[in-house]
Parts: sequence; C-alpha cells; structure tokens
Amino acid sequence: MKLFKYLKPYWFWAILSPLSMIGEVLADLWLPKLMSLMINEGVLKQNQEILVAIGLRMLLIVLLGGLSGSLCSVFASLASQNFACDLRKDVFKRAMGLSFQQTDKFTTGSLITRLTNDITQMQHFVEQCIRMFIRSGLMFLGGIIMMLSLESRFGLILLCSLPLQLLLMALVLKAANPLYAKVQKRLDAVNNVMQENVNGARMVKAYVQEEREVARFNEANDNLTDTNLRVAFIIARLSPVLSIIMNCSVVAILYLGGLQTMAGAMEVGTIMAAIDYNTRILHSVMMVSMMFQSIARGRASAKRLSEVLETEPAIKGGDYAPKTLGAITFEQVGFHYPGFEGRTVLKDLNLTVNPGENIAILGATGAGKSSLIHLITRFYDTTEGQITIGGKPIQDFDLTALRDKIAVVLQKSELFSGSVAENIRWGNPDATEEEIRRAAEIAQAAEFIEKMPDGYDSVIAEKGASLSGGQKQRLSIARALVRKPELLIFDDSTSALDLSTEGKLRRAIRQELKGTTLITVAQRIASVKDCDRIAVLEDGTLSAIGSHDELLKTSPVYQEIYRSQTKEGGMIDG
Amino acid sequence: MAEQKPNAMQAMRPGRRGPMMQVEKPKNMKATLKKLIGYIGRNRRNFFTLLGVTLSITAANLLAPALQQRAIDAIEASLPQKLLLMLGLMVLTYLMNAGLTYLQGIFSAKLAQGTVRTMRKDLFARLVRLPIRYTDTHNHGDIMSRMTNDVENISNSVSTSIASLCSSVLMVSGCFIIMICYSPLLALVSTLTIGLTLLASTFITKFMRKFFVRQQRILGAVNGQVEEMVSGYRTVMAYNRQERAVDTFNHTSDQLKKTAIYANIFGGFMGPVMNFISNVGFLLIAIIGGYLASLPQDHLLYITVGTIQAFILYSKQFSRPINEIANQYAAIQTAIAGAERIFEVMDSPIEDEGGNAPYNPKTVKGALSFQDVHFAYEPKKPVLQGFNLEVEAGQKIAIVGATGSGKTTVVNLLTRFYDIDRGSITIDGTPLTAIPRGKLRESLAIVLQDTVLFSDTIARNISYSKPDATMEEIEAAAKATGADKFIRKLKDGYDTLLTEGGSNLSQGQRQLLNIARAVLADPSILILDEATSSVDTRTEMHIQSAMVALMKNRTSLIIAHRLSTIRDADKIIVIDHGKVVEEGDHDTLLSQKGTYYNLYQSQFAGIAT
Repeated sequence: MKLFKYLKPYWFWAILSPLSMIGEVLADLWLPKLMSLMINEGVLKQNQEILVAIGLRMLLIVLLGGLSGSLCSVFASLASQNFACDLRKDVFKRAMGLSFQQTDKFTTGSLITRLTNDITQMQHFVEQCIRMFIRSGLMFLGGIIMMLSLESRFGLILLCSLPLQLLLMALVLKAANPLYAKVQKRLDAVNNVMQENVNGARMVKAYVQEEREVARFNEANDNLTDTNLRVAFIIARLSPVLSIIMNCSVVAILYLGGLQTMAGAMEVGTIMAAIDYNTRILHSVMMVSMMFQSIARGRASAKRLSEVLETEPAIKGGDYAPKTLGAITFEQVGFHYPGFEGRTVLKDLNLTVNPGENIAILGATGAGKSSLIHLITRFYDTTEGQITIGGKPIQDFDLTALRDKIAVVLQKSELFSGSVAENIRWGNPDATEEEIRRAAEIAQAAEFIEKMPDGYDSVIAEKGASLSGGQKQRLSIARALVRKPELLIFDDSTSALDLSTEGKLRRAIRQELKGTTLITVAQRIASVKDCDRIAVLEDGTLSAIGSHDELLKTSPVYQEIYRSQTKEGGMIDG
Repeated sequence: MAEQKPNAMQAMRPGRRGPMMQVEKPKNMKATLKKLIGYIGRNRRNFFTLLGVTLSITAANLLAPALQQRAIDAIEASLPQKLLLMLGLMVLTYLMNAGLTYLQGIFSAKLAQGTVRTMRKDLFARLVRLPIRYTDTHNHGDIMSRMTNDVENISNSVSTSIASLCSSVLMVSGCFIIMICYSPLLALVSTLTIGLTLLASTFITKFMRKFFVRQQRILGAVNGQVEEMVSGYRTVMAYNRQERAVDTFNHTSDQLKKTAIYANIFGGFMGPVMNFISNVGFLLIAIIGGYLASLPQDHLLYITVGTIQAFILYSKQFSRPINEIANQYAAIQTAIAGAERIFEVMDSPIEDEGGNAPYNPKTVKGALSFQDVHFAYEPKKPVLQGFNLEVEAGQKIAIVGATGSGKTTVVNLLTRFYDIDRGSITIDGTPLTAIPRGKLRESLAIVLQDTVLFSDTIARNISYSKPDATMEEIEAAAKATGADKFIRKLKDGYDTLLTEGGSNLSQGQRQLLNIARAVLADPSILILDEATSSVDTRTEMHIQSAMVALMKNRTSLIIAHRLSTIRDADKIIVIDHGKVVEEGDHDTLLSQKGTYYNLYQSQFAGIAT
C-alpha cells in the first residue's frame, strides 16, 4: 500500500479517530455490565433508588459513548476526505502529465474510472479501516476480556465457537468469491447486447433481425441469472450457519451459567451480560471478515491508482526555449505507435518545412499524415531518424515553450464546457475580447456566434453537442488563431466546412497571418491546391513534393487522387 | 451513518454502497406498484413459499425470547430439569430457524432473480420492437441505465426488502400484541419511545439531506471535470493547459472535501442520537417496570420481575424492525421509481406488423413512387412538403441537397422507420403501409454513414443480413467490396472477433464490412446514405466498381455529396426545403444553372476556384 503516504499528513486525525473510538467501545462494553447490575440490584431486589442511580449512570455513559463515537466519525472523515482529496489531486495531475501513448494505453475510459470510482473506493476504504476495522478489533478484544472477567469458563465456549465461525465463513466466501468476477462478466455481456441494439437499432430493423437479437439477449440474460443464483445460493448458507453458532453459544452460556447460578456462584444478570458480550464478539468477527472483502476491493483500487501515479511521462522536454522556431526538418524519420511494432506508420521520411511556408500534406487515410503532425508537437517521439527545429534536435526543446509556439487544430474538435469566448480563450488565456472577436471572424465563426442567443457568452453544453460539425471546427480554428502561433497546423480540420466557407477561411488566414508557417493536412485537393508546396504521402513515406501544377505533371499518385476527386480533368474548368 | 447490520447478502456484494444513495420518489406509486406486484406474482409459488418461510422465521424469533425467559426463570428457581428442557427447546427452535433462514435466502434469491430476469427479457423484447423514433428521441445512456441501474435496484429490493419488510411487519405486530398482553402501560411507554426515535430520525434525515445533495452535486462537478479533461486530453496538451486544468480541479476537489466532511459530521450524529433515545426508553421500562413490580400483587398493574426482563427483550426486538422498515422504505421507493422508468419503456407503443398485402421480397421489381408526401419529425416543423418522386425498377437515383433539406428523411420513410403524415409511397404499386413490415425491410438493404458492427466475428458481421449464408457467400461478398484484402491480413481472418463496435478497425474498413453486408443481402432496393463519406476518395474509387456491381439490376437510392458517387446516376434529384426542385441527369442539371449548378460550384468544382 504505497498510497499510505497520502494519509501521513493527516496522521493526527487518523490516530485521534480510533482513540475516540475507544470511548465508544468502552461505553458499549460497559453497558451490558451496568444492565446486569441494574437487573441484579435494582429490578430483582426492587430497589428503586439504585435503579434510578444506575439508570442515570447508564444514560451518561451512552451520552459520552455517543459523543466520542461522533467525534470518531468526524476525525475519520477528516482523515479520509483529506486523504482522498490529496490523492485525487495527485492522480489528476499525473493523468494530465501523461504522454499520448500512455493515455492511449490506459484508455481514457479507464483513467476516468480510476479518478472517480477508485478514489471514492479508497476514501471509503480508509474511513472504514479507521472506524470499522479498529472498532471491531477493540470490540473483539474488549468483549473477550469482559466475558472472561465474568466467568473464565465462558472462554471455553468462545474457544469452540470462534474458530468454527471463522472456518465456515472462510469456506463460504472462498466458494463465492470467484463467482463475483463471473457475475460481472455476464453482466457486461447483457449490457453489451443492449448497447449494440440501442446504437444499431436501424441496422437491426433494416435486416429484420429482431428475433435473432432477442434470442441473443435471452441467452445472455439466462446466463446472468444462473450465475447470480449460484452466488446467492452459496451466500444463503452463510447467515443460517452463523446464526446457529451464535445461538448455540447462547444456549451453552445459559447452561454453564445456569449451573453456576444454581450452585449460588453467579447471578442471573451476569448470564444476561455474558450473552450480550458473546453476541458482540461473534458479531465483530463477522465485521472483520467483511472488512477483508473490502480490503481486497480497496487493494484493487489502490493498485489501479498506483499504476497511474507510478507512470513517468514517456516524453520529457529539454530546456531549450528559443524565441523563434526556425525550419523543421525530418531526417530519415521512421515511426510506429508504441506497442504496435509490426505496423510501420512512417518510414524514411525526409521533409523540410521552412519558416513562413504554406505547406500541405496530402494522402489517403492511414498514409501517416496525422502521425507526422503528432511528431512535430511531440505528442509522440520518432522511433527512427530525427526531427530538428532550427537545427536543434526536437528533444532539446522545452515542451511548454515548443507547444506555446504551435497551434494545432485537431481532426476531432474537442470543445469544453464554458462559454464560446472561454473556449476560444483556451488558445491564449490573456486574449482580449477584441482579439477573440478577430479570431472568430478569421475563422468564419463570428457570424454564427453572433446569431446565438448570448453571442460570445453563450454556454457550450456537453462538448458542443448543440453545434454542428462545421461550427465546432470553426470554433477550434478560432481557438488556434487567437494563440497567434508561429506554426499553425490544420489536421484535416476543415472537413465539415463547405468549400466556399473553406475558401473564405483560407483567404482570411493568408491575409491576416503573414509570416506564420502553415501546415495543412487534407484529403481534398481542393483544400490544398493553393499551398506553396504539397507533400504527397503514400504508405508512410514521401512520394512526391511540389506545387499543384508540378505534381499534376509528375506524380502518378497525385494524379490518381486528383482524378478520384474530379472524375475527369476537364471538369475543373467547366 | 446507518447502523451496521450483519446482512451478509448485502454487505458481501462487491462494489455496492448505499450511504449517500439519494432517495427518488416515484411519480405514480400506486400504478407502478401494481405492475411490479404483477411481475412478482408471476413467480407466485416462490413468493408464497417465501412468505410462509418468513412467517415461520418470525414465529421462531418471537418464541426464542420467551424460551430464554423461561430458562432464566428456571435458573432463578433452581429447576435443572426445566432448564435442560428449555435449553433443548431453544436449540430446536434455533435449528429450525437456521434451516428456515437458509430457505429464505434461496427463495428470495429465486424470486428476485426470476422477477428481474423476466423484466429484463420483456424490456429487451419491447425495446427491439420500439420504433426508431424512440431511440432517436431518447438519450441512449438513459435507456441503458434502465436496463442496468433500475433493474439492479429492483433486484436488490425484491431480494432483501420483501422478506425483511414482511418479517419486520410481523415482528412488530407480534411484539406489540405480546407486550400489550404482558402490560399495556409498559407497551405504551415502549411505543412512545419508538415514536420518538422515528421522529428524531426523520428530522435528522431532513436536516442532513441538503448536505448530501450538495455533496452529490459537487461530486458530479468533479467527475464532470475529470471526464472532460481526460477525454479531451489531446487539446489540453496541445494548448499547454495541464496546469490550469490541475488548478481548477484542485479547487473543486477541495470544495468536495469540505462538503463531504460537513455531511459526514452531521450524518455521524444519527447513530448516537438514536442510540441515546432507545436507551432512554429502555431505562424508562426498567424504572416503571420496577415500580409496577413493587405494587401489591392484587393491583391491576402488577407485574412479575420476569415480565420486566421479557419486556426488555421484546422492546429491543420491537424497535429493530421499525428502523429496518424505515430503511427499507427508502430503498423500495428508489426501486419503484426505477420500475416506473422500466414500465415507461414497456408501455411505449411498438411497431405494428404492417399490412398483409401479398409481397415477395425476392421477386419485387423495385419501382418506387412518392406522391405528395408530407412529413414532420416534430409537429409544426415540416421536413417534407409535397415531395414527389417516381423511380423505375432498376434505376439509380442520386439525391442531393443541402444539410437539413430532407435527404435522409426519404430513407427513413421508405424503410418505414418513420411513417408519412400525408400522401403515399408505393413499391411496385403497393402502398408501403399495406406491405408486411418485415417483408418490406427484407427487400431493402441500407448502408449508413455511421457504421454498425456487433461484437462478433467478422464473418458473422457480414452475414448479419443473411444469417444462413455459407462461408463462400460471405467471402464472395467481401471480395466484391474489396474488404477481403484487409480481412485476410488480420490474424484470425474472417474469425477475427470485433470488440467495442469494431474499434480495432479503421473507419474505412468498418464501412467496407457494412457494404459487404448489403452485398450479401442481395436486396431489390439498395439505399446508400452517405455511405462513402467516411472513406477517402482513393479508397472510394477502388470500391467504386464494387458499388457499381452492387447497384446493377436493382433500384438504388444514393445520398451523397461527392461528385464521383453521383455522376453515374440515371437520375439526380435535388431537394430543397422538403421538395424536389430539380431532376435530370448530371449534364442536363448543370446546363440549367439552377440549384444543382450552385451546389456543384460550391462543393464539387472547388478545385477550380
């Protein structure tokens, strides 16, 4: 449990809590004794004064016990909540610092679960440990001591019942445990069928496969029910077995105690107290074993969190932070995604992007266009060859300094909750309102933003679910423009715009951002025709480079793409 | 926090926590409850067995303190024989109790699982037959949660609540009757303290609630931030926003901590306060009982010392189930609210079987006619307004138009995913509504922009349109679309298992599988709704020949925005504002210099501008 260090700063609360627990446990243990006294001295001997006196003492103890119990829970929650809060912050910070390949490996879904569920699990776990575990332990020990102090022979009863109880519980739990994983699997299967049918309803209906889906679901459903029943049947054994042990020890106490009392060595109230202690002891054993279950669960969560915390960012920057970047050169660059050794994405790629140049990268899906962009921003590192910027290896650059000079508009527009203006301001936190408006205008977004009910203050809900694909792309572009970057990269990020809007956008960018290096990744020739140079990627390597007219004459690949988008050359002017 | 109870079933299930569970109130408790009981009633035998077993357990539980009391009396009176007898009876009772408890566990599990299984089954069978309108207008996550969370809640309630509610009610009434028989005055005292406990608990719960609600809200905010930043990490990183994200997150996280601690502090008082009140009651019984016992024996209210002890035991047994009922009440309410949502799905009208005109999907020629079709998804927002279209059998028709002009609606109407408001659509002269729905769809195949793949092998995904297809047929379909090439490169070829809707394939590959599926279906009418917009133009060109072959000899409706897909159509129709504004072939339309010409200029001829 390496996460223990997060509890350290709050050791004070973590220790105070069990300490005040002692008060509660003592009160709980004291009460049966007082009760027996009350019955022996007050009720049986019909002494009202003693009755009232003991009664008041009882109430006082209950009050004190309750108070220390409340304090205990306050301290426990102080410790566990602070612990969870620190842990959550650290894991989040670490998650934000992960490199792309690491986030991909964890998958975003899993990272989210770790940050939400697992943290909550850990918080509950720590709280339970502090409160329940220690409470049960104290209760167990205290109960045994009190019971033995009543009559040492009662120990014999405990000696029989305790090991038996532990053994039986272990047996039942051992039988049930492996089934839980199975239940989860079966449940996933049921949900999966459901999910597919909700999302693919059109396909199911179009091919009239309702019956088949129902059959598929029924099978998954029956499987789940069977497994659930198996678990329930096993668990159903636990409760009766435990109650037999508990009740038989009560009978044994009555018998042993009865003989003693009849011999005049014990009083009736004592037997009642012993029964009470017996119940508490066996109960606390049960609680402890339940705790072992939750320890197993806590451990799983802790492991998943440690995994995140122990992941060092795979990509670290240097400390070189120049004022301007300069030319970007790819020298014999090869690349495959981490973990996919067999699948080469880029190979032997040589390319230089000059400052201020307007260059396009064209190629089919899977040709390696986006990967090339990811290398420039150091989202990934090359696996062969190297990239230099202004003559310096890219690894020497400070990551923040490097990315501050670059603005990428990604293929998938990711927007965040907040207003339109806030989303654009992501590009540059210090941007003035004027700058934001200007960026929106260049991005051809101003028009639709102003039509929104609150203009720039309109709130974007659910990652822009209310916006069209083209609108989201234009907002992402505005976000990149407001950054006033040295290098602006469009990664196939105008695909949802119609050509006239795209044309206006390109003209505006050309006019407004003179001197900015522009890299455009695209599939449509129409989007890149006017670039200074077009680099044609084919199967991960540079197939041709040159202007539109040059490529039309020299590159067969380019010609083929061109034909596929126009059908026949004559149409261009038609 | 709630008192810890040795409820093995609940405590041992992993990953389930209740303390902060919010109680949800059902809207129409009575009607839902009635339906829910109907479901439980389907397992009538289990239900009544469970009830009988629970009744016996309660009786045993009521008997046990009486026996214990006799045993103590025997000890006091020094009657070893009687003590042994009583102890023997006790052991018997306990054994019986244990056996019954086991049966209770078995039957309540059977009842719960049986009920939930039927519910899930019915829910799914219903869901699959709901009209597309339902899935289109409801949040998918919300539909899913009915199947998962709501069903789970019901299962928990049925398995634990029913038994414990029954036994609690029986226990309370049993205890109450016995207590009244022993001493009405003490029974009154006991009842009063319990009333006080209940009052206090409602008061505290109400007071606490706002803290828990707040905690829940901030927790939602924390989770929301995590979700947003982690899934948008590419942008976060590209814009160097990590530090800001961490700052904001830390702030929310701190807030959560603070509220959670407040909630815990107030929540923590609950137990001790209850404990105190119940002890006050206990003390009152002891004092008043002591006083009554000291009265002269012929006094109306006189009781024996043994009675006081029995009373103490009974009053303990009396108060426990009352707390339990209060606890169960919340759980049951939540379950009923869940059941309400499930029944809401089940009560939604399903698609009918369609008409019963003779219609053979295999021999249909595929002549389509849309006459004066009007349609709106939402009232007062018309999409199609007087749409007319005649398609001859075997014709290739391309539909073009701006976004929102109603292109996809034509598909939705032809497949009867939605029904027209006015006008008529016919296939080979038969109105759509007269054709059996299943047979109608069997004669169509659609390929949509959003690919749909199931977690199954590639082969079975292709044969989705024809479950009895042979391997040869499947491979032939894959070859015809060019999917065969990439499938063979996969480790397990056609037996490769697709996970998460085919996330291990590229978008283009996914679409190829969907097209292969349509090829295999061999329909009379083919619909391609932006089918190739997600594959790049070169790949499209490579599958173009397959598409042409696919479209041969069948009526094809093509919705597309790429010129290459549209040019070869026999007829291009241009939709604008829900009406056909132009129709003809490519060259004719271009020469008209109308809407098509403008669309063409802005989209297809972009290279020239």
